Amino acid sequence: MRQFLIRFYPAVWRARYGDEFEALLEERPLGPFDVADIILGAIDARLRLRGRGASPTTARGFTMSLRIGGIAAIVAGAAWGLTFVGSTGILGDSDRLIQYAVFALALLSLLVALIGLSAFQAREHSTVIWAAVALPVVGTVVALVGLVAMTLLDDAQLVAGVSAWNLWIFGLMAAVFGSGLFAIATYQTRTLSRPGSALLGFGSFLTLPTLVITGEIGFDAVGAVAIVTAIVGFSVGWIVLGVAAIRTMAPAVDPQPA
Amino acid sequence: MDPKAPEFGRFTEPSLLILVSLSRGPKHGYAIMTEIETDTGRPMGAGTLYAALARLEESGLIEPLAPIDRRRPYRLTGVGATMLGEQLRGLSAFAQQGLRQLGEPLS
Repeated sequence: MRQFLIRFYPAVWRARYGDEFEALLEERPLGPFDVADIILGAIDARLRLRGRGASPTTARGFTMSLRIGGIAAIVAGAAWGLTFVGSTGILGDSDRLIQYAVFALALLSLLVALIGLSAFQAREHSTVIWAAVALPVVGTVVALVGLVAMTLLDDAQLVAGVSAWNLWIFGLMAAVFGSGLFAIATYQTRTLSRPGSALLGFGSFLTLPTLVITGEIGFDAVGAVAIVTAIVGFSVGWIVLGVAAIRTMAPAVDPQPA
Repeated sequence: MDPKAPEFGRFTEPSLLILVSLSRGPKHGYAIMTEIETDTGRPMGAGTLYAALARLEESGLIEPLAPIDRRRPYRLTGVGATMLGEQLRGLSAFAQQGLRQLGEPLS
């Protein structure tokens, strides 16, 4: 894995920094945040080598940061809330394409949030964090295929009795389950916000059975309360974690207004 | 703020954090990374660290020392120390001005 990542860098860069960089990577487990940061660093090194930003006075590069993850988490929380509201049918079928676009945004921003906010958790819970990212990655691909199929074919059977809707709901559940794993690791690591991670975990693990049960027996009053509670917990949990990440990036001097 | 100081684009903040870390003495990459994470509570990825280190070295603000077991320490140069001092004085003046405007001068 480490050797593979180092190969993203240009040969000239590897000749100068390769050994010490590899020694650095051996010091601790790599999480999705680290992998994304290394790939962005390699792109930056290649651009600099080609003369784009080669001068220290004009250099521009990429950094993976909590701020990017924080913004993505807030967008994800809001977009997932809208997606759930849209899926209840309140918004009507006329806005279906907009709902699909919002869901695609929800999935993609969730991936960025998971990667951007998982740096510290991956050092203590590497396997959990990799699973928390891998599940939504697979889910996102499957759900996007489902969305395209639903747009073109409505809910027709695609293959082996699997419909476009089945793909969509699988992607949704994979992303929700991944969020739950992320919430557990975040809570245990005591990073970002413990109330935020507790809320996200509660929302995630309530969403899954509620979706299954209401899908089987339909909505009743208890089911409706449970699904709304789960949705609010999931969306607000992501937003709280996003705000916590952005506040971490605030300047160290934090004056209180008089 | 200081027109003579190199501009590192998105790497300005990591570069400043690295210079502050090296002002305590020479360190290799992992020691710099962990010290910054402990001091700021923010993660620093290896890609960001080495992108900033390469720029600082190219600008002559830091210099590499002989590697020890593949881990190469870096140290602040005289130019680097001077520039860091200017940057920190500029930031301090800016922070004091902002706090005065909020009615909370720095102690």
